[in-house]
This record gives sequence, structure tokens and C-alpha cells, in this order.
Amino acid sequence: MTAYLIRRLVTSLIVILGIALVTFLMTHIIAPSPGRAILGDRASRAAVNAFDNAHGYDRPVWVQFGSYLWQLVHGNLGYSYKLNQTVDSLIAENAPHSMWLSGISVFLSIVIAIPLGIFQAVKRNSVADQAITAAAFTAYSMPQNFLGILLIGFLAIQWHLFPAEASQSERIIPYIFAFHSNFLPIATLTITAVAGYSRYMRSAGLDALAQDYIRLARAKGLTEPTVLRRHLLRNAILPMVTLIGLSIPLLLAGNLVVEYLYNSHGLGLLFINELGNEDFPTVIALTLLGGIATVVGNFVADVALTVADPRIRIN
Amino acid sequence: MEPVLEINDLSTHIQLSRSVVQAVGNISMSIAPGETLGLVGESGCGKSMTGLSIMRLLPNGGKVVGGSIKLSGVELTKLSDADIRDVRGNEVAMIFQDSLTSLNPTMNIGRQIAEQVRKHRHVSRAEALERAAEALSIVGFPNSKERLDNFPHQLSGGQRQRVMIAIALSCDPKLLIADEPTTALDVTIQAQILGLLDDLKQRLGMAVLLVTHDMGVVAGRADRVNVMYAGRIVESAPTTELFTHMHHPYTQALLGSIPLLTQNRSERLFSIPGIPPDLTDPPPGCRFAPRCSRATDQCRTEEPALEPATNDHHFACWHPVDGPIVRTTIAVNGTAPAPAGAGEAEHSDAAPGAPETVAARNGSAAEPAFGARGWQSGEGDDRLLVVDDVVREYPVTSGVILQRKVASVKAVSGVSFTVGRGETFGLVGESGCGKTTLGKVIVGLEKADKGQVALRGTNVTGLRDRQLRRFRKDLQMMFQDPIASLDPRMRVGAILREPMKIQGIGTKRQQDKVIADLLGEVGLPANAVERFPHEFSGGQRQRIGLARALTLNPQVIVADEPVSALDVSIRSQVLNLMKRLQETHGITYIVISHDLAVVKFLADRIGVMYLGKLVEMGTGEDIYLRPVHHYTAGLIATVPEPDPMREKSKSEVGIKGELPSPVTPPSGCRFRTRCPAAQQICAEEEPPFRPFHPGHVAACHFPLQQPIDGGDPLAAQAGTAPTIAGS
Ligand SMILES: Nc1ncnc2c1ncn2[C@@H]1O[C@H](COP(=O)(O)OP(=O)(O)OP(=O)(O)O)[C@@H](O)[C@H]1O
Ligand code: SF4
Ligand code: SF4
Ligand SMILES: [Mg+2]
Repeated sequence: MTAYLIRRLVTSLIVILGIALVTFLMTHIIAPSPGRAILGDRASRAAVNAFDNAHGYDRPVWVQFGSYLWQLVHGNLGYSYKLNQTVDSLIAENAPHSMWLSGISVFLSIVIAIPLGIFQAVKRNSVADQAITAAAFTAYSMPQNFLGILLIGFLAIQWHLFPAEASQSERIIPYIFAFHSNFLPIATLTITAVAGYSRYMRSAGLDALAQDYIRLARAKGLTEPTVLRRHLLRNAILPMVTLIGLSIPLLLAGNLVVEYLYNSHGLGLLFINELGNEDFPTVIALTLLGGIATVVGNFVADVALTVADPRIRIN
Repeated sequence: MEPVLEINDLSTHIQLSRSVVQAVGNISMSIAPGETLGLVGESGCGKSMTGLSIMRLLPNGGKVVGGSIKLSGVELTKLSDADIRDVRGNEVAMIFQDSLTSLNPTMNIGRQIAEQVRKHRHVSRAEALERAAEALSIVGFPNSKERLDNFPHQLSGGQRQRVMIAIALSCDPKLLIADEPTTALDVTIQAQILGLLDDLKQRLGMAVLLVTHDMGVVAGRADRVNVMYAGRIVESAPTTELFTHMHHPYTQALLGSIPLLTQNRSERLFSIPGIPPDLTDPPPGCRFAPRCSRATDQCRTEEPALEPATNDHHFACWHPVDGPIVRTTIAVNGTAPAPAGAGEAEHSDAAPGAPETVAARNGSAAEPAFGARGWQSGEGDDRLLVVDDVVREYPVTSGVILQRKVASVKAVSGVSFTVGRGETFGLVGESGCGKTTLGKVIVGLEKADKGQVALRGTNVTGLRDRQLRRFRKDLQMMFQDPIASLDPRMRVGAILREPMKIQGIGTKRQQDKVIADLLGEVGLPANAVERFPHEFSGGQRQRIGLARALTLNPQVIVADEPVSALDVSIRSQVLNLMKRLQETHGITYIVISHDLAVVKFLADRIGVMYLGKLVEMGTGEDIYLRPVHHYTAGLIATVPEPDPMREKSKSEVGIKGELPSPVTPPSGCRFRTRCPAAQQICAEEEPPFRPFHPGHVAACHFPLQQPIDGGDPLAAQAGTAPTIAGS
């Protein structure tokens, strides 16, 4: 098992290196001469060259990539000339909000989707199952911004139940406790995720129900709740672990839409704003971060699966 | 003695969305303490539903709609759900066919046994685990305490089945329902498990309901047998009586369609035409009538009841038969069944004008079928296919970052044999012995790591692209699972056309004609071209597979487990068909099967494989009557034969232990870890092939027969020369 995990870790690092190379090349292609970008169009050629020379931008590409990596390893993601701030500090300001929003939504979706999917599997083809399936399909196929607009339209504008805008607190603690203000963004993210996860959970549950060990468990005289809890649940959840890891990119994309829609502080909103500002260092650093988050998500899912599945753990 | 189980007029239906399956119809039976009742029948006849009705574990929509089930006098059908749960696992235990999922993969086996003990015996966790360890040691696990922490994937199939038995007996049930307990296992392991069940039954005094499709298994293990057909019990009798004096035509036909080891293979197998009826709409009258050769108008309108012939022999038929179909068998200790005047064998699939006996192929019907093939030297065609020292190994890789090859699965380790034109060569052996891999190497689906396969003198393994494709046409493969091997989205017409298209053979019209001819030949209607594979039954799908293998008019067909997925009555239809097509097309077959009787019925010569090596080769008679290698002899002793007398005279477990890992096969003779006669030299030196009879060779240091003195093994087998690599 350890060997497997080390191997996974190494491949993850290699992929991250690849992502870094891509983002580096993006920077390089968009702005081969940062001097021009920083000093502006009116600066003299000589001034630009001097700037590039002083900052090492005229060195060979591979050397520059090396120093880029060196900076990354030291947690230096670049500098936003547009905002006159290090990208690091931008991320430090915005990341906690995004992480909270995604984290709580993933947590809620899992907590809702697993029992829901198992319920559907056990009661397969019942009216309840079909109703949930219909709802899940609707939610899943609906574009997220449309879902958000619907929720705002009814819950915020029509019935005044929740504000249409997320908490504007820049500090994270008040933001976390602003459940009422953040209800709609969390709901939007959660509904989409539940729709996807519950479909998957239903089919994983059906697969597990059809296995012989379920029949054997019943033949032992165990009660139905015990059979489901002890024998079905764990086996049906295993494939979910991977799915959740794989859905990290979707979640990130969801954050873009939702943060923009509800004007919530966070990396997603930052990304969209800076994209409009042509603040490339920030946009590219966030892209890199998104890539890394995806790789890390998959790695964590693999580790979790390894721990949870004795067939992988004991070999 | 009061019966443990008494079933009266039980009917079980399964509600589907638009129809009702009448899975079990008005059956009655009883089992005494310490008795084993066999319940046999083809797939779909309701055997499992009977067992599940007792346990009230029917699938969704399933319901007992009438009758009574009494366990020691207690009516089970009237119990509440909570009360029946107290019966399950406690008074009635059930074991199922082993599959990888028969045990929960995420729970260790100790807990899986203990949870049942805790449910029924209100003991502490520690006591339950102690009971679990005890149960494991009863079913033959040494160091059972340490085994409790094992997970199912760490066990072999046979061991998992033992665990399932341990679960079943952990609460001392009165009745054990064993539903196909050994169907997924190799014969050597099957014999061990059946022996264990017998032993436990005697020690614990349980009653056993043994559900199986295998007449050989009931012949040796059951005291009485109930034969089911289409939801009904059609005959019930003590085992020996049922096999020798059956009265129901279905029982007679079923037994008649099984290829016997003692079979005279020049004779066609009896086969039952058609397929069992659809139980959503069973025929009125006798349910066997549409397939019965004795059926009259009365049969078609009025259903016969299960009536006693004698005290303990019941059957349901208007026009009973008396005893088995006459078959000529080779003489083995005088156990050939006596002629009994019921020989109206109907050959459902005999095409008009097709030669009736296989012997006719040999030029003269009088010529003996055995050993008469022209594979001995001297005939021109005796080396159509030469397999020479083929080695195939699959790498096992490991390593933290770079995957290094650390070992290899020795799937095939130096196999050589020669097959002549029109001959059938059989490969038999347990699962994992490398038969399939070898078959794939022969048709070019796998490459050989060493050695060669030559067709008509050309080394096929060395060919590339165009040339290979030309030879591929002459080497076709037919697969075990007709469902998995046919593309579900292609119509049968397209499936049959595909090989010709790839090879660029014929115009569309010519292809159409070939397809139409082939369909007729394999006994499928012409409109089959328009239909999809799933619209056919298993036997029909295997016919499609056969037709596809035939489209290019190949010289050699490698048939991997061609009938293993089929029911007995369908199996004999396909076996007869394969033989007939061989006669008309002059095909050479290589038949691969774990089923010795099937191989023996089809093959002129048989190679016995063990762990990647051929250990013995000879005619069916050589192998069956004069086995030389201890593995062959053990295999024959463990194959369950549908003959109670022979089965009951067999000594217990035939081959001890389990197949060693093909990654690290034993040194010297690979069979030595399980061989009763193994000596020091068996571990040190690989036994060479020696001749024992003309054309009969085996590799054993201490053979069961005298080798032909001074005989040069290479000369004696006419150039088949299994040159075994020295390593
Ligand atoms: N693609 C593969 N990769 C690794 N190992 C393989 C592969 N195919 C077969 N093997 C291994 O090679 C050995 C022989 O396999 P093969 O399928 O040829 O046996 P078999 O006798 O036909 O078994 P069965 O009756 O179960 O089909 C087995 O140990 C099997 O696990
Ligand atoms: S009742 Fe008639 S159709 Fe049925 S088995 Fe007997 S003879 Fe055949
Ligand atoms: S060579 Fe030895 S181990 Fe192998 S079968 Fe013969 S006696 Fe047994
Ligand atoms: Mg195989």
C-alpha cells in the first residue's frame, strides 16, 4: 500500500510540474516582456530592456522556468501589477471564503446524497424514487447560473426569504456564520452536487444490492436496517469516494458561477474580475491553483479509497 | 421420523411489470433428518426459487401464493417477518454458488461469521468470534484464529466456499439449503467441498437440500432426487432408482443428453428439441409436451399429477417410460446401463441428409472410433497444425515509481502437440491451467513469448499484417460466453458479414448467400439476420458463434468452453451440431474445456494440462481407461459422473490441496505438491515425456502404467515431440 501511495504522490507531483509548465508558457506567450507590460506603452525601448534585464526576463526560457518554479516552491505566485499587490496576498484574502463555500457544499451534498441515493436504490422504481430521479435530472441538466437566478427570483425577490447577495464580510469568521446571507450560494452549489451524487449513489446502491453478499446477509437473519448499514453502505460508498475527488474541478467551476452571481468574496469572483481587467499574473496564478487543487483532490480521494477498501489496503 | 422439512403444494410467483412468472407450481416434498435431497433441473426451472421460498428471500415481486412450508411442524409461511428472521441462519441456513461477491469484500471473515452468531445466540463479541474460529476449523481451516482477520479477496474460491459453509453451520441449523454450492469451482475443489458437506451432514445430523443442475453431483451425494421441469416436480425417487428406472420422459431425456465418460463417441448424443417453456405463459397440460416425443392430445390438454409408482417413487406423466435410453458405452467394470426399450432418440438438429453417425466420417462405419484418426505418421495431413514449445508469460510488475517486471505468471510453459486435418484435439484442465491462453496463442490473439505455431508448415507466430490476416482466416476462435462475444448492437447478419468484410471476400450478394447457408446449417431461421443477439437463447447464440467462426471456411476452429454456459439439453444439441459441421466442412477442432466428458465426447485425442504444462496426451480411452499421470487419474476420480453406482464406489477426495500459484510453480514436476506418489526426484527433475501405448505419452517419474520399454518417446508419437525446455 505504501509503495502505491508513494507512486501516486510522485505522479501527482509530476502532473503539477506539468501544469506549472503550462501556466509558465501561458505567461511567457501573453507577456514575453513584462517590462513593457509594467512600464506601459510609452516607456522607451531602452527602459524596457533595462527592466527586463534587471529582473532576469531576458534569460533563456528554461532558466526562467527554473526561477519560476523556485518562486512557486517558496510560495511566491507572482505580482498583480493591476492591483499592486502580491498574488499571494490576494489569495490569502479570498481563498478562505471560497474554501468555506465549497467545503460546506460538498459536505452537505454528501450528507444528503448518500442516504437519498440508497433510499432510491432500495425503493427502486417506486413513486418516490421516480420523483427524486425527475428532480435530480432537472437540477443536473440546468445551467448553474439559471438555477441561481431561479432561486434568487423566488426565494429572494418574490418571497424575501433570503438575501440575493452573499455576506460581504471580508473577514472569514463572520462570513462563515452568515448562514442566512449565504444560504442561496450554498444551496445553489449543493443542489447541483446532490443531483449528480445521488444519481451515482443510486446506481452504486443498485449494484451493491444485486451482490450475493447482500442476499447472504439476509440469509443470516439480519434485520434489513442492519443489512443496509453493515453490508450495503460501505460497499456503495467506495465508488463515491473517487467521484468526489473527480468532481473538484466541477466544484471550482461552480464557484466561479456562484460567487459571481451572488457577488461573494472569493477566488472565483477574483478570477472573473481580473480576467476582465486583463490582470494576467493573477488569472494565471489562479489557473495554476485550480489545476493543483484538482490534482490534490484526486490524490486525496485515492488515499481515502486505499484506506477504506481492504482489497487495495491489504495486498 | 418426523421430517425436518415438509412442503405441500407450494406455489411461488414473481410479479413483473406486465406479467407474472409462475416460478414454482404446486410442488410437494419432504426431507428427513440426516437426509440429502437433490433438486435438479435446467436453468430457470425454479430450483433456486424453491430454496428462496423456504427462506422467504424471494427477489422483488416474488411471493409464495399458495401451499405450506413446515419446518419441524412449524408453518413458515405464516410467520411474521421478525420471526422468519429468527429462523434464517439459525434453523435453516443457505449457501450459494461461490462468486467473488458471495462474501462482503469490505468486512473480515471473522466478523461475517460472528454477526450471525450474535444475532441468534445473544453472546458477547468475543464469544461469537470464538465460535467463528471453531466453525472455521470445522470446515478445514488450520490456524483458524488467525484467519478471522482475513478478507475474502485473500482467499481462493474453494476457501471462500468453506467460509460460507462455516457461516451456515455456525448456529447448528436443522436444514441446510445448498444452492449450486460447487458450480463455480474446479472439479478437484468441488469434490473436496462436497465431501465436506457430506461429512458435516453426518456429524451434525442436518438435513440437506442440494440444489444443482449437475446430475453427476446428485448421483454421488443425494439420497433422493427430485427432478424439476418448468416449475413442477416431474419425478421424485431414491437416487439409484431415478437413474436406473426413471419413468418420466424428461428425466430420461435429460440423462440421455449428458455426454458420459464411458460414452461411445461415435454415437450421437440424445438431444431434447426446443427450449423450456416461458413460465409467464406455461403450456396447458403437461409442461414438457412441446418437447416430448411421446406427447399425445391428452398430454397437451390435461396436466398429469405427481402420482406414486411405488411408495417412494413418484412421477407425473400420462405415458411413462421405463428406464434410461440405451446407449452403447465402452466397457468399464460392467456398469453399462441395461437396455430398457426406450430408444426413440430424436435428433432435433439433424439436417436432412446429414450422416447419422460420426464414425461415418472415418470412411467406414465399422471402423472403431477410437484411435482411428490419421494423426499417426505416414498420412499427408497429420501435421496440419503444429504447436511447438509454446511459452506465454504475463509480467507481474511492481515498483515505487518505475514499474519493473518482478515476476511472471507462467500461463503456458512449453507446450507442444500436433493436430492432423479433420482431427479434434481436446485440451482439458482446471481453471488457470493455461488452456485459454494457449488457445489464444494458437489463433494469434496472444503472442507467444517463445516457440511457434505452424499451420501447414508456415510459422504463424512470425507473420505480420497482410500475411497474418490471411492465416487468421484459417484459424478461428469460438468463445465460451455467447453473450459477451457477440456485439449486442449488431444484427446477426452484420455479425456474420463482418469477418468477410474484413478479409474483403465476395460481393454483397455472395456474402448474403454464405450467411443464409450458414444459418440453415446451424439450424437458425433465415430471418435471424434481422435480429439482435439478445433476442436469442443461449444455445442459439452459441450457434451464431459457431456460424461466425465458420463464415471464412477456416481450417481450424479453436473452441474455448463451447458449451459450458449452456444447459444440458441445449448442450447436447450444440455438441451434435459441432460434430456434424466437422463432417461436412472437414474442420479441425481444438476443443478447450474443463469438462472432461465434453472433451472426451468431441476429441479424437486429448491433452491434459496442469499449471501451464501438458502432463499427458492420448486418445480418450488412453486418458480415461489407462491414465498414467497421477493428475489425470485424480481428475478422473473427481469428475462427478451421472451414475450413482460409480459415484458411490469412488473414494473420498480425489486430489488434495489447491492449485499452486502460476507465478512460482513448483520445481520439477509441477503436480508434486498435490501428488500422492511424489518422491524426492519429483522436486528435483522435471519428468520427461515417455510413451505408454502407441500415441499415449505422459510425463511422470512414477507412472501408473509401465512405459513401453526402450521406446523412444519422440518416435512413438510420430513427431509430436513435446520438446520440453530444460528450465
Ligand atoms: N491478461 C492476463 N494478464 C495476467 N494474467 C493472465 C492474463 N490472462 C490469463 N492470465 C493468467 O494466466 C493463467 C492462465 O490463464 P487462462 O485464462 O489461460 O486459464 P484457463 O485454464 O483457461 O482458466 P479458466 O478455465 O478459468 O478460463 C492464470 O493464472 C491467469 O490468471
Ligand atoms: S405427460 Fe405426455 S407430454 Fe408429458 S412427459 Fe408424459 S408423455 Fe410426455
Ligand atoms: S512426477 Fe512425481 S509428482 Fe509428478 S505426477 Fe509423477 S509421481 Fe507425481
Ligand atoms: Mg479458460
